[in-house]
Amino acid sequence: MWHIAKRELYDNLNSLRFALATVLLLALMLTNTVLYLREHPKRIQAYHNAASGAVKTLEGRSTSLYRLATEGPGDLHKAPSLLRFCAEGDEAFLPTHASGANFVRRIADRTPIWRMGYPQETPNLRNIRPDFATLDWAFIVGYVLSFIAILFTFDAISGELERGTLRLTLANAIPRHTVLMGKFLGVFISINIPFTIVVLMNLILISTSDAVQLNPEAWGRLGILYSVIILYICLFIALGLLISAAVRESGVSLVVLLLIWVSFVVFMPNTLASIGSRTLVPIAYEEFWTQRIRLADAARAAYRDKYGDSQITPSVHVLGEYVTTEAEEHERYNASYLKQQIEQGKRARAITRISPAAIVQRLFESFAGTGFERHLQFIENAQRYTREYREFVVDTDRADPESLHLIGIQEGMSQKPVNPEAIPKFKDTLSLSRDFDAVATDLLLLVLFLGVLVSGAYLAFVRLEI
Amino acid sequence: MLKTLIRRELLDNLMTFRFAAVLLITLLLVVANTAVLIQDYEQRLESYNDAVKMHQQDLRNSKTYSTAHLFVDRAPNPLSIFNVGLDKRLGNLIGIYHGFMPTLWDAQMHGTDNPFIAFFSSIDIVFVFEVILSLMGLIFAYDAIAGERERGTLRLVLAQPIGRGQILLAKYISAMACLLVPLILSLLFALLLLTRSMPLSTADFLRIAGIVLTSFAYLSLFYLIGLLISVATRRTGTALMLAMFIWGLLILVYPNLIRATVNPGGDIQARVKTAHNQIQQILDEYERERQKFLEKEGIAEEMSEFSKALGFYHQADVDPVTLTTYIESISVLSEIRPDFEKYIPVAKRYYNFVEPLATRTVEKAWRIRKQALDEIYVKQATTDRILLKLSPVGIYDAATQAWAGTDLSGLRDFFDASRRYRKIIIDYLYAKDAFASREWFVADKGTVDWRTLPQFTFQRSDVGINAKRALPDLFLLLLINLIFFTIIFLIFVRSEV
Repeated sequence: MWHIAKRELYDNLNSLRFALATVLLLALMLTNTVLYLREHPKRIQAYHNAASGAVKTLEGRSTSLYRLATEGPGDLHKAPSLLRFCAEGDEAFLPTHASGANFVRRIADRTPIWRMGYPQETPNLRNIRPDFATLDWAFIVGYVLSFIAILFTFDAISGELERGTLRLTLANAIPRHTVLMGKFLGVFISINIPFTIVVLMNLILISTSDAVQLNPEAWGRLGILYSVIILYICLFIALGLLISAAVRESGVSLVVLLLIWVSFVVFMPNTLASIGSRTLVPIAYEEFWTQRIRLADAARAAYRDKYGDSQITPSVHVLGEYVTTEAEEHERYNASYLKQQIEQGKRARAITRISPAAIVQRLFESFAGTGFERHLQFIENAQRYTREYREFVVDTDRADPESLHLIGIQEGMSQKPVNPEAIPKFKDTLSLSRDFDAVATDLLLLVLFLGVLVSGAYLAFVRLEI
Repeated sequence: MLKTLIRRELLDNLMTFRFAAVLLITLLLVVANTAVLIQDYEQRLESYNDAVKMHQQDLRNSKTYSTAHLFVDRAPNPLSIFNVGLDKRLGNLIGIYHGFMPTLWDAQMHGTDNPFIAFFSSIDIVFVFEVILSLMGLIFAYDAIAGERERGTLRLVLAQPIGRGQILLAKYISAMACLLVPLILSLLFALLLLTRSMPLSTADFLRIAGIVLTSFAYLSLFYLIGLLISVATRRTGTALMLAMFIWGLLILVYPNLIRATVNPGGDIQARVKTAHNQIQQILDEYERERQKFLEKEGIAEEMSEFSKALGFYHQADVDPVTLTTYIESISVLSEIRPDFEKYIPVAKRYYNFVEPLATRTVEKAWRIRKQALDEIYVKQATTDRILLKLSPVGIYDAATQAWAGTDLSGLRDFFDASRRYRKIIIDYLYAKDAFASREWFVADKGTVDWRTLPQFTFQRSDVGINAKRALPDLFLLLLINLIFFTIIFLIFVRSEV
């Protein structure tokens, strides 16, 4: 077996395709490095400025508990991922912050309580540059490496069959599965040599640059990503061997492989996502906005019906309850709209899982800490922080025996100054175990695909008539 | 003789498995994606209609001139199904008022704009062609000469009294005839689906014809690239590898490498900053003149009273990134308290002075802004597109976008129209003497009648203009075709069999 693998390897190393693949991968990875090292420090700087600005704003509000209760924690910023060179995902389209602030509309002549909002940013709205794919590892692996894998395998069996050398090999007392394994290993190693070299170059350049410090967790994630890549390459090699054995003619096997590749890698992820997203369409953001205003107006009208005009305040207790429930309702509405949008995003992604390229894209995004799954984590973090912040305000208020404990009413709250250090600060974190949970199915699916293709290749080769 | 050759080649090509496979997959992809795109278009059209209705309602609900909500919407382009270009990405909704110059950098979005699905771009027909036609061209060409050379049949053919040019021509004609089958068939299917669900005008059919012509040139170019490889190499294996890697480079890699070359660096920020300062100065000057007027009228000290009387809200600002300049002064009162009635004549004079001043100021700022935007954003986008044209994909994409009217110029047409509409509205306001009227700021003695307001209409550019924008790229494609053919001929004539 090793002998066959070695022979295959030598054949490949001397071939034109090996040289071309190396050059292509090298150019792509170099560009990836350059882009990342150019843009990442700027991103980090912008995040730090925004985050420290947010903390300053929050501490500025610590003059009274009432201000904290009504104005809220301000903007919560999403931390940029260190591993963005691995996968950029839809990062460019996603909002970079959530906003805990109050709505300028006054209720019963009172400043309303803050609520959590998720601003609809469409940063691409003004982008008049042409469309570019993101040159991340996910692209290099998902598109280019799989393409290379096809070019390395399409004639692995059919070529030898045509030249008649397969008959020679099998005339020796070598079992067929050993021949197949040998071929598999040979191709696998010959693709991995250039790829591993360019990956190492990429990582060395990035980790030695002053602007970026890769921590142990990041290295762990990179390790996981590397094994995902291995799985993915194996998948395409198995596919190539399967078709190559099944079709017998190398010209035809290449055409078949290319068409499969084009359908699954280039077209399916986008087309299927478009179809999937059609199954659940949330209302337009404008309409959501209008409805939200209508909701606030209705709450205000209901209040007026009950207690008359704002000049005659019934009692601070009634008012206190009113402002609190209004804010909660409002926030629930915001969250339910967000949930609809997320649901649509999930539907769009769920259906693309037929394509291994889409699965790998998802795995890359999740383990690199970018894209959709990561954004869901950010939203969870923001929602957890929202509760923490609210509890902090209520608890601080409760600690003051002089207070009436009416949150959101100036005269009903503790008048004591708040220690700015004690206010909980938003911290956007990522958990590796959650990332695993989110993509466990995808990982299993990938392994399943691989299993099916490998056994398919085995069967096709064993039954091959020579 | 040429005819015999063509017939032989044609039969050779048509009877192959690759022809059947390519035909099937092209049809499948084009039809599936067209169906998705039509649904998508209908949804966009629906949200456009909703938005128009809503904005009309908003306008009717505006009681005074200064609080008017006047918005114009951009309808989705039906030809975006062929090449979506910037049609879906850029804003499709923009406010029109005298204290603001609408540009594409200020537009907003109506309709569904869920950020969580923005990543998935719907695949348009041109994209399918970009990928499939190029592959097809190369697959049909790589062994055209090299294969015959290996099999020895080339020698046989050349033993006949046929010129080498004729052989090339026969190969080219028959292969193109074959390759046109999937192109034309899939387009016919797409058109069948299209005409069932949306009305296309004659001009649209002409534009589509332009797209087909460009697709043809694109396909032919890739066939010729394959043929060149085939002529220049001795073995089909080598030819195939070269063809595939060139395909990967031209389609997958090169168009995305450009992103790295253009560096939105510090000088852009400096340029924005300069323009920002200049515009800020213009706004400062506006503010000084406004204050001077208030002093002259003797109400500068009473300004707070005065603004309370009018429910006044005044803002003049310039955005530090997009340089959006706007001067807004709105009175949010529907009625006026009797003790403030004394301010009415002053207010009328105030608005009659300030609003035309605001209009002029914004127009002055626009001249600076336009130049800055062109230098910063448009220039960069143009450079990108020129660099993209080093790959045939870039030329093809640009030409088909121009035909469809979804390119930058096509989109800018809309914003030009919105600026013209702003001018019309201002003329209308002058004609109605609106700035000096009571209805400008308060609605207690009758609200504004919006029925005579001129309507906004936007017609997509004439097909002649589309052609003018697309033809340079089409000719470029044809020229490259010609050059390739000549090179192939020269190599083939000199090559040993």
